[in-house]
Amino acid sequence: MMEPTTAMEPKTALAPRTPPPAPGYLTSSLRVMDLSIGEMLWSRRTVFMLLIVGAPVLIALILRALVSLGAPVLNGPNNIRMTGPGIFGLMIWIFYLRFTVPVLGVFYGTSLIADEVEDKTITYLFSRPIPRGAVLVGKYLAYLVSTIFVVLPSVMLVYLLVVPIQGSLGGSFLDLVKDLALLALGLSVYGAVFAFIGAKFKRPLLIGLVFIFGWEQVAIVLPGYLKYFTVAYYIQGLVPHAMPNDGAMSLIQNMLRETPSLATALLGLAVVWAVSLALATRVVERREYVLEQ
Amino acid sequence: MTKKTRYFMAGSSAVLGVGLCAGLVAFYAGGFEALSAAPVASELRYVPADSTVIAYADVRSIMDSDLRTQLKAAIPMHEQGQEEFRTQTGIDIERDIDYIVAAGATGNTQAPLAGGLVVARGRFNDTQLEALAREHGGQVEEYKGKRMIHSQASESGHQMTLAFLEPGLVAIGTKTTVQRAIDAQLTSHSITANSEMMAIVAEIASNNNAWAVGRFDAIAAQANLPTEIASRMPPVKWFSAAGHVNGGITGTLRAEATDEASADLLRRQVSGVLALGEMVAKSDPTAGALIKSLQMSGTGKTVALSFALPAEVLALIPQMAGAHQQQIQ
Repeated sequence: MMEPTTAMEPKTALAPRTPPPAPGYLTSSLRVMDLSIGEMLWSRRTVFMLLIVGAPVLIALILRALVSLGAPVLNGPNNIRMTGPGIFGLMIWIFYLRFTVPVLGVFYGTSLIADEVEDKTITYLFSRPIPRGAVLVGKYLAYLVSTIFVVLPSVMLVYLLVVPIQGSLGGSFLDLVKDLALLALGLSVYGAVFAFIGAKFKRPLLIGLVFIFGWEQVAIVLPGYLKYFTVAYYIQGLVPHAMPNDGAMSLIQNMLRETPSLATALLGLAVVWAVSLALATRVVERREYVLEQ
Repeated sequence: MTKKTRYFMAGSSAVLGVGLCAGLVAFYAGGFEALSAAPVASELRYVPADSTVIAYADVRSIMDSDLRTQLKAAIPMHEQGQEEFRTQTGIDIERDIDYIVAAGATGNTQAPLAGGLVVARGRFNDTQLEALAREHGGQVEEYKGKRMIHSQASESGHQMTLAFLEPGLVAIGTKTTVQRAIDAQLTSHSITANSEMMAIVAEIASNNNAWAVGRFDAIAAQANLPTEIASRMPPVKWFSAAGHVNGGITGTLRAEATDEASADLLRRQVSGVLALGEMVAKSDPTAGALIKSLQMSGTGKTVALSFALPAEVLALIPQMAGAHQQQIQ
């Protein structure tokens, strides 16, 4: 017969506590993303982003007001009268595809890891029981959510303001859907490229700016195969609007333009995205970040 | 995620959602027309999608124009017909109608738009109109919630129908055309889905108080033109005529050819006609002023001929008509 034990009896030995299992790659990435979205959205960088995406909305608002007041703002050169859908197409090219998307990609993409290193907080993230690569993927997802939720509504406002000027919302709806998808695709690919640059190099912002305003601008107009090593070549092949002739570079590009097929453009972008993101996670997993004191 | 971030994302999603829904509705309904076409947007929804010609006239501004006042003073007008129309229908054209939209289609064996359709915006006394119609042997019928008044059939078998589409909006035409107009609005299968035609309307509607747009090829095919003329005419897809009537008349006639070569040919033909006109008009100052006011323009597939007839030139027309009448006498 066993003797009854009482609550007062002291415990002689504690059972060993087993640590909870480490979260998987996806769970870790989503957790990092959840933490990072707020940080990204409410940072000083967001003020810059709002200025960039707010400018086209402001221009659209002014244009709409001028047209409503009867100002002859739609009369272009050579007796050509501009229409709302045409102006919307130009704005997508000039403001969003050539500027906003690559610039946001550079500023946010290069800072995904660089900011943590600079703030000396990367140690805290890397000391958690999660794969190092998941930190980068989570931050990349946070970048995508933050930029998409700021850029796409801006495009939507421009569409609602500009397209009804001598055009119809219904007639341009399919182009709008293509534009939104294209901008989201552009943000994801540029973000992946600059995430790799940010993880690999010491001065990622400078390299990123040289890449978009130097390399891409030159390589895309040069005859030969160099254009295949740019993101802009594949992105511009998918734009549903006519390319504007707004400068010497555009003129040369229009003359030498070689548009990739839909399949080629999508495949090209998929390859750039996958390779860049894979390289970025590989760098983060292998690199020893030395924090400067 | 903080509450602030969640609110921000909800706001962004709402903007995206509203825009996409508006675009989707506009895409399927063929609506949300151009800003400058807005004044006639609701009338155009009653114009069937297969119409090949649509026209608009701002009756109010034309009736109140200086030109009409001058012409009325110079040429005695027959107001008997107008008075008769008012007695029969209760509609005073000068006061009750603001503007009209007219439409027509070329022969379609399945659903002919015979006789055309007129949609008029103005102030109409429905009860009086209905009572007058009954007095003259008209019949009242309801079609898909709209009241229609059919006139008594004439000896030739023609019967007109007037339908009250909305408060202050009536449609006049044959029974079939009016029924098709009501169907067009209810099924959203109206001319507003024709983006090519709507683009031209949007372009010309903003600064003109009378305009017409049509498919030239469809009309020419039905016009039974002599083979010699038809074979020499350059292929033109769209034509439009727009004018502004006030002290004088300013306007533009525009043709959209199917290709640039056809447009070049048309430009040469118009230039030839203008040169011939200048030669003929040398001895006639009125015709000379008229010819000089004609200006040809247009690039690519477009050929445009604009004109401006000042009140002084128009004032000469009644004098010429009077002189001509004296010669006959």
